Formats: sequence, structure tokens, C-alpha cells
Amino acid sequence: MNWIVRNLWLIPALPLFAAGISALAKQKNRALAAGLAIGSMGISFLLALCAFAHVLVLRSSGQATQQVFNFPWFQFGNDWLSLGWVLNPLTAVMLVMVTFVGLLIFIFSVGYMEHDENFTRFFCFLALFASAMLGVIISNSLLLLFMCWEIVGLTSYLLIGFWYFKPSAAAAAKKAFITTRIGDLPFFLGIVWLYSQTGTLLFYNNGAGCLEPTAITHLLSQTTAIGVCVATGIALLIFCGAIGKSGQFPLHVWLPDAMEGPTPVSALIHAATMVAAGVFLVARVYPLMSAHNGIAGMLTTSTALQAVTWIGAITALFGSLVAVAQFDIKRILAYSTVSQLGYMMMGLGVGGVAVGMFHLITHAFFKALLFLGAGSIIHGCSGEQDIRRMGGIRKLMPITFLTYGIAMLALCGFPLFSGFWSKDEILHAAHHWNISQAPYYMGAFAALLTAFYMTRQVFYVFAGSSRLTEEVTDASHAAAHTDAHAADHHHGSSAIHESPAVMTVPLALLSVFALLLGFFGTPAWPWFQSFLDDSPLAVNFGAFGEGGILPVMLISSVIVFLGLGLGWWFYGRKPIESAVAPDAVGKLSPPIFTVLGHAFYFDAFYGATFIRLNTLLSKISDWLDRWVWSGAVKTITSLVFGFAHLDNFLDTNVVNSGFDEGCEGVSLSGQILSRLQAGRVQGYLKIVAGALIVFTIVLLWKAKI
Amino acid sequence: MSVINYGQLLQLAWPEIILTVAALIALAADLLFFRQSALRTRFLVAASIASIGCIAAIFKLLPGSSEGMLLGGVFLSNPATHLVQIALLVIAILTLFLSVDSTFTDHVGEFVLLILLATTGMMFLVASQDLLVIFISLELLSLSVYILAGFDKRSSRSAEAALKYFLFGGMSAAFMLFGFSLLYGFSNSTNLVQIASAIHAVPLNPLVILAIVTTVIGFGFKIAAAPFHFWAPDVYQGAPTPSAAFIASGSKVASFFIFFQVLVIGFAGAEGSATLHHFQSGWVPVIVTVAVASMLLGNLVAITQTSLRRLLAYSAVAHAGYMLLAYVAHSEQSLAALLYYVATYALATLGIFGILTVTEKQLGNDKISDLAGLSRRAPFLSACLFIFVLSLAGIPPLSGFFAKFLLFTAVLAVSPGSKLLIGLIIFAIGMSAVSLYYYLRVLKSAFVADPPADATPIQSPMLLQLVVGLLAAGVVALGCAPDLILNQILKVIHASGL
Repeated sequence: MNWIVRNLWLIPALPLFAAGISALAKQKNRALAAGLAIGSMGISFLLALCAFAHVLVLRSSGQATQQVFNFPWFQFGNDWLSLGWVLNPLTAVMLVMVTFVGLLIFIFSVGYMEHDENFTRFFCFLALFASAMLGVIISNSLLLLFMCWEIVGLTSYLLIGFWYFKPSAAAAAKKAFITTRIGDLPFFLGIVWLYSQTGTLLFYNNGAGCLEPTAITHLLSQTTAIGVCVATGIALLIFCGAIGKSGQFPLHVWLPDAMEGPTPVSALIHAATMVAAGVFLVARVYPLMSAHNGIAGMLTTSTALQAVTWIGAITALFGSLVAVAQFDIKRILAYSTVSQLGYMMMGLGVGGVAVGMFHLITHAFFKALLFLGAGSIIHGCSGEQDIRRMGGIRKLMPITFLTYGIAMLALCGFPLFSGFWSKDEILHAAHHWNISQAPYYMGAFAALLTAFYMTRQVFYVFAGSSRLTEEVTDASHAAAHTDAHAADHHHGSSAIHESPAVMTVPLALLSVFALLLGFFGTPAWPWFQSFLDDSPLAVNFGAFGEGGILPVMLISSVIVFLGLGLGWWFYGRKPIESAVAPDAVGKLSPPIFTVLGHAFYFDAFYGATFIRLNTLLSKISDWLDRWVWSGAVKTITSLVFGFAHLDNFLDTNVVNSGFDEGCEGVSLSGQILSRLQAGRVQGYLKIVAGALIVFTIVLLWKAKI
Repeated sequence: MSVINYGQLLQLAWPEIILTVAALIALAADLLFFRQSALRTRFLVAASIASIGCIAAIFKLLPGSSEGMLLGGVFLSNPATHLVQIALLVIAILTLFLSVDSTFTDHVGEFVLLILLATTGMMFLVASQDLLVIFISLELLSLSVYILAGFDKRSSRSAEAALKYFLFGGMSAAFMLFGFSLLYGFSNSTNLVQIASAIHAVPLNPLVILAIVTTVIGFGFKIAAAPFHFWAPDVYQGAPTPSAAFIASGSKVASFFIFFQVLVIGFAGAEGSATLHHFQSGWVPVIVTVAVASMLLGNLVAITQTSLRRLLAYSAVAHAGYMLLAYVAHSEQSLAALLYYVATYALATLGIFGILTVTEKQLGNDKISDLAGLSRRAPFLSACLFIFVLSLAGIPPLSGFFAKFLLFTAVLAVSPGSKLLIGLIIFAIGMSAVSLYYYLRVLKSAFVADPPADATPIQSPMLLQLVVGLLAAGVVALGCAPDLILNQILKVIHASGL
């Protein structure tokens, strides 16, 4: 076994080490914390490249591309609980993506967070996050994955609430944590169920793992009480975890609020990597997800995958609809992320691992780029996040504009950009789905909306002239103007400026990938797909003409152009003059726009139902606790206390017969003392003598019987 | 009648001889050369000499040293006694260094001499299976610690405590001697094994029953089990801190060990049974009663204490109750668990007394309420206090938890399903829960309560901090890796055939 497989653990361990050191370091050791985090990430990136190269070598030499390393952790009962890690194409691709994007975002953060007094803590959390995320990726055990998954959730909480002195950030952190926890509960139940059925949580273990044919067949042969196959039940429970983590409908509510965190966090965690963990999870347990009782080779889709597809399609459409009516630059991107995650899920559901993962990878690059670009803009505008108050930034921040433009076109799916290839593949797969055509139409409409809202955003932000000095009076969107960044920003001047090189260089690097990455997965040369699926690869330009790819591609191109055109029609035709002018689309139908602006009032709905129910239950529990349980406890306590006091009373008063006062206060005269002393010890000894008599009598009496 | 081989006796008694010589050197050095020196210097010199003696003795006791048995158990030397003796010597060293910064006496040489003589007494005590030697060494120990308790001659409380201790102890010794004489009269031997073979006829002879009860009273006094504990609160409170620490730790270790030996070897066959349906006279019912009384009384009365020392005294009573459960089980495992328990208990108690030497000097008394805000005034000591108190309360991963855990499992393992044992363990666990209340009260005062307005940081000598820190590290280490010494204990018990 190659050394890289054995030492794969180093990849998450290095950032963890960096996090540990900087957690112990003093606040002022900024260079140390940043250096450690970036250095460890850099080494991890190199190791990830080694791992990737290793898989490539295995593949080219025709060996199995999956290698695992398992070790026993501890024993309970007769079973050994094993953990381990796995290196396969999926792991390798994710490792390279996370370490590379993470590295760039770390570097970017040096510039973005330079004025923050908690710089050290920030890098500690970032490194911890990266470590946990890499742990999720390499795990060959559902348990290890779950542990890392929870650390990911924790760091997300810590980083969203990084500016904890802002009540909104604290609330958002709490919301993110609790909402994802709602998804994690069924996930955990799924893990427990899986363990009880298969007796192992290792994914791959030379045929004995829970994702290998023996276990899957066993799971398929069992049926639950409600008639669902056990495999389906477990898969759906595990998918609940993915719903929470990846912000899928209906647990998406936390993701837009998570934008309260520093922008590099939004880029790293809430766009590129963590939210992708849910998608990755589904891809990792795909053998379980896709298990069905149909005849092999038949076009049958498992119930679990159908659920994945529908949830994904609904989320994709929902996210893009809401993004149209947002004014906060980061919230637009957040809803866009929700929508794109929906795409990935849909891709997994209709097309398989490669289809969904390809979009995950391309999306990670261009969405990280978009967020970092937004960060650069916010940095340049001294903390302003409301797009109505931006404008004219194109000339002031040319590099940011250029890279943002590339990312935006990639996100829209503009032909030849990376997003085009990956999104198109999903749409193509959806078009050929054997269950229903609805996901395809939902996806296509979402693609139209994506192009539209991104065009809207770009025109708002970059075109025209700056509106930064104007006041926004629209009360309903005043919240969009958050001083997240200004809170720790000491620029003092409102002059818009291009960001320093430490921020623009990562942007430039990312934009190269946003442009070119798609060419690894074109229908003509589907390298990525064949790499993940371990299938033979051939260059075949004729592939465009087969299986209706070209029509779908043309249709989606038309859709993109239509979206861009509509965006131009509404926002680009005449420049936006004033920050207070109503939105061009909003004028068409203000009520609908308001509903979209409030994201279909999901927060209000949850507030009125679940949260109210929860409050009611907690009030009942509080009442029970206060009056019933506490009453019982208090009764017992006072009984014990009473007994203790009685005991103490006997001990001090009866036994010591009021001696204490004597020696303390009165006289030190030896004579008196000795007399009192003797009296007291007599008391003691009387008890001893009593004990002697009692014991002897009892024993003698019993001995006679 | 075998003839004493003096060569062998010398060979086996080397550690005790070294200790006695060291004690005399320390006394002589202090009186002859250091009379005029500063008190701290005198303490340092005497403690160093004594410690060198202790360490030399420890080297003589390390595994591989000579073993043997004289006169069928009058004096024996085997791995188990070596281990206990090493523990006693370590406790003596720690006590000596805890006392270096004391100011309660000018008679440094005598103080150190007495500590070492008491240690010598304890070493003989644990190395014998003969009633006569047990009694004599017990008296050597007792007389030394009576004086130690009253060593602060300027304090009336110390004198009072010592006198009470002495009277109570004298009476208990009389009971014990009475019991021993009955045993001798009955078996015509002072050897524990031969006594056992003479008395175990069922039903027990009334005189044997009387001997059992008086023996329990005599040792019950040493281990401060209820209702023979009355001296403990006064002595813990009145004695100078190092003396109290020594009485609460070293003397406990030795007494628990030899008490176990006497009961299990000397009264083998006279265990009896304490279950309601099969009640049978013997020492087990007595021990069960004493254990339950100790747990109940110790824990409940401790709740109402306001003085930390008195609280420790009542907690010692409670711990004695738990430890007596090992006697009820009287198996190899339970002896191992008992030794582990008493050793870790001694470490934690020593540590708390170490902290008390500092806080009392600066706060003027040992009121729990006066510890308020200690965490801000002396962070290091408070952290150590935290460890010691939680260990006593039995919180994982500290050694106190494992001590309880091992003890309780060892007791249950003796006869699984025995209703009596299960009931006793449940009672003990319930009482441990009660004990958490008063232990946490100490910590609450130190960590939660605000310090008085005029509070200044508490200065503590480096040496003391070092000793206390070592003790805390020991408590944590033994808790995290109980195997460190437990395996060793089990091995030596096995090797010694106990």
C-alpha cells in the first residue's frame, strides 16, 4: 500500500495541529496564526495532490482505484469499533478542491480580516473547520464522518457568530446550529439503524463494509413495518442530514442568515465546502442511496434517489426565485447557493455521482470566487452590503469586476464557462429521467432566473455611478444594510478602493478555474465523469450529437441568453439613478416581489408554527420542572437536611454536651480545661462502650439461635 | 519454638533501621548545629535529612529486595508489605516538605523525629502477623501521633485535641488489648494464622465474639469509623496542619491495611453472615453496621460543617465507610481496590491540607466561607484544590472516581447477585451523591463567591506549590491511568499470597 494511503490522515491532522497551536497562542500572535493556518493548508494541498496523483497512477496502471486503511478504535462487548479512511477518486477530487479553495480563501482572509482584533481566533477556527471538513472527506466510517460532520457544524457556528457582539450574528449562528441539528438527528438515527442492521459503519472493508454488495443485499431484503425497504429508510434518514447541512428545502432557512459571518467564511463554508458536505454525503453513500430491488440494468430509480431529486429540484427553483428579490449582495449569493445546491442534489438524483459532483466542484470555484469578490467589494465600500447603494464599482475596482464577471457568467451557465458544462449535464440527465419531466422544467426555469438575478446584481453593483452616500429609506430592506464588516473596519474613509494584492491574487487564480474547469467534463471528453465512475475515457466529439445532448445544450444556452437579456432589459438599459428608486422588477408586481423578498415568509411560518410550539412545550417543561420535579427534589432535600441537622445536633449537643463553648471562650486554665475535656471524652467513650455492648449482645444472641 | 536468626532480622529490617537512624541524625543535627538558624532553614535541613533516610529506605524496598518471614509471621517482608511501606514513606516525605514553611513550633528536630518514628511504627505495623508486634507498633504509631497532634504548644486547641485523641486512643487500645488477650487465652498463640485455626468453630464462642467486637473498636478508632470517630473532627481541627495531614493520610493507610490482615487472616472462618435470612455471628455483620453508620453519619454531618478541616474529618469518616465495604468482600481484588482507594485518598487529603497551610496562615482560619474568591487570589492552589476535592467526591477522570469504581466492582464481583452487597453498593453510591453537595460547597466558595473587597493575592511558597502540584498531578495521573499502580498492587498481593 502506498504511503499516501497510510498517511492520508495527515491531511486533516495538519490544519488541526495549526488550530491547536493558534488556540493556545496569544491574540497578538497574528502572523503565527495566519502562517500556521496557511502553511498547514499549503502542505495539506500538496499532500492532496499526491493523493490525487496516486489515484491517477493506479487508474492508468489499471488497478482498483479505491484503497482503504482501517484500524480498530476500541472494543465494546465482543465487537471492535473500527475507523478508517478511504482514498478513491471521489475523495481525491474533493481533497484537492477543498484544500485548494481553502488555501486561497485563507490567503484572502489575511487581507480581509487584517483590521479585526480577533484575527488569531479567526484563523484558529478556519483551520479547525478545514481539518473537520477534510476529515469528512477522507472518512471510511460513517461514525468518523459524523464526528467530523459535527465539528464542521460547530466551526460553522463559531464562525457565523464570529462577530458575536452583533445580536444578529449571534442569532444567525444559533439558528444555523439548531437548524442543521434538526437534520442531524435523523442522520444519527440512520447511522444507528445502519449499524444495528449491518454491524459495521465502515463504508468499505474488503467486502464486509456497509456500502458493499453483501450489506446492501441484506438491507434490501429487509422490510420495515410500514412496508418500506430498510435500505430506503436508512438512506432517507441519512439524506435528512444532507438536507440540513446543504441548506435544502425545507431546512434552508439558516443559510441566508449565515451571511452574518465574515465574508471569507461565507465563501469557504457557506458556499464552497461545508454546504457541499451534504451533497458529498449523498455521493459517498450512493450505493445505499441507489439500492433498489429492481432487476439490475433496468431503468429503475430508488425511492431515496427520487426524494433527492424532488427536494433538489424544489430547492433549485425556490432559491433562484427568492434571489431575484434580494438587495443584500451576500444574501443574493446565499440564495443562489441554496439554488445551486439544489441542482447538485438533483444531479445526484437523476444522473449519478459524477453529474452531481461535477457541479459541486465547478460551483465551489466560481461561488468561492463570487463570495470573495463580494468580500472585496464590501471591503472596498467599507462595509456596505446593500447593492442599491453600490454602483459604478467597475471602474474603481477593475480586477474585482473582471473576476466577478467571470464567476457570474460561470454561475449563469454561459456557454463554455465551467458552470455551463456542469449545469448542462444535470439538465440533460433530468431530461432523460424516467420518472418525470418536472425536475427538468424546474431546473431550466431556475437556470433562467439564475442568469436574470446575477445580471441584476452585476448591473446594480458595477454599472452607473456610485450611490454610496445616499440613504436607503425603504424600511422593509433596511436590514439588508448590515455593518458587518464596518464593525471592525477602521478605514474611516468612504472612498471606494481596489483591494490589496493578497485579496486580488486569489480572485485571479480562482477565476482561471471558473473559466477552464468545465473542460474536464465536456460530453466530448468526459474525463471527470470517467474518473469518478472508473470507466474508460475517449475523446469523442461526436458525443455532442448523441442522446439529445446538443438540443438540451442549445435550449439551455438560449435560456441563459434570455435571462441575461431580461436582466439587461430591466436593469442595464437605463442606469439606476438612485438608491431609493424602486426595483425595476418590483414595480411589475409589488406584492409578489415582497413575498419573494421575504423568501416566501418561511421564517415567519416557522416562527408561527414550530418555534411557537417549541416555546409552548418549553414553557410546559419549565412549569413541570419548577413545580413538579423541583418540588419532589426539594422535599427530598429538606428531608435529608432535616436529618443532617438532627444528626449534627445529636453529635454536637448530646455527645459533646455543650463543651465547645467552654474551651473556646472562657478560660485557658488547664484545670478547667482538663475537667471539661475529661467530661467530653467520657461522652465519647460512653458511645463506644454502648457500641461494644450492642454489638456483643446482638452477636451473642444471634449466635445462640 | 524456633530460634531467631538475627542476621536475617537485620537483613529484613534494614528500611526501619535506616529510618530510625535518619530520625536520630535529623534530631542531632538540628539540636547540635542549627539551633540558632532561621526556622525555615532548620525545617529544610531536618526534612532533607529525613527524606534522604526515607528515600534510602524506599530503595531497600524496591522490587527484588530480600523477602522472608521470621518466627511464623512475627516479622515478615514480602512484596505487598514493601508496596505499602513505600507508600507510607512517600507520604512521610510529602508531609515533611509540607511542613517546611510552618511556624507552629521551635522544636523542629523533635517534630521530624516523631514523624519518622510514627512512620517506623507504621512500617512495623504492616509487616507483622503477630498480635503482640501489631499492638506494640500500633502503640509506637499512636504515641507519636498523639504528640504530633499536640505539637503546637502555643495553641490551646492543639493541646485539647491531643489530649482528647490520647484519652480516646488509650481507651481504644485498652479495648483492643482486651480482645487480643482473649484471643491469646483462647488459642494459646499470638500468631494470626494459628488464632484463626483455633476460633472458627460455629457457633462462635462468646469470648471470641467479644474479642471480635473489641478488635473492631480498637481499629475502628484508628481508621475513624463511626461510632469511633469522635476524636477525628477535633484532631483534624486542632492539630498543626502537617500533623493533621499525616494523621489523615499515612496513619490511615497503615491502619486500613493491617485491619484487613487481622480480620481476614486472624478471624478467618469467623466471618459470619449479615444477610437477614442467614444471619450468622461473626465480624462481617459488625463491619457492615460500622460501614453503614460511617457512610450515613460522615456524609450527613459533613453537610452542616462550616470549617474545612472538620468537613474533611467527617468526609474521612464517610470514606472509611466506603473502604470498609472492601472488608465485607474480603477478596484479593477488594484488597487491591482498598489499597488503591486509600492511597489515592491519602494523596488528595494531603493536598488539601497542603493548601490549608497557606490559606490558614493568610486568612487566619479554615472557614469554608473565607475561601471566597480563592480562585482569583491563588489560581494555582485553587486549581489544585479543585482536583483534590473533585477526586474525593469521585468525579471521573480523577483517581477518586476509579478508586470508588474499582472498590464497588470488586465488592460486587465477590458474590454476584448478593442482595446485601448490591444494597450496600447502592447505599454507598447514594451517599456519594450526597457528598457531592458538601464538596461542591467548598469549590463554590473558592470559585464562585466574590473575594472580600480588601483581598490581596495570596502568597504561597514555591516549595509548597511544587508539592501540592505534584500531588495534584498524581491524583490526575492515577485517575487517567489507574493501571499504573493497580496492576502492581494486584501482582504483589498475588505474589504475597494474601
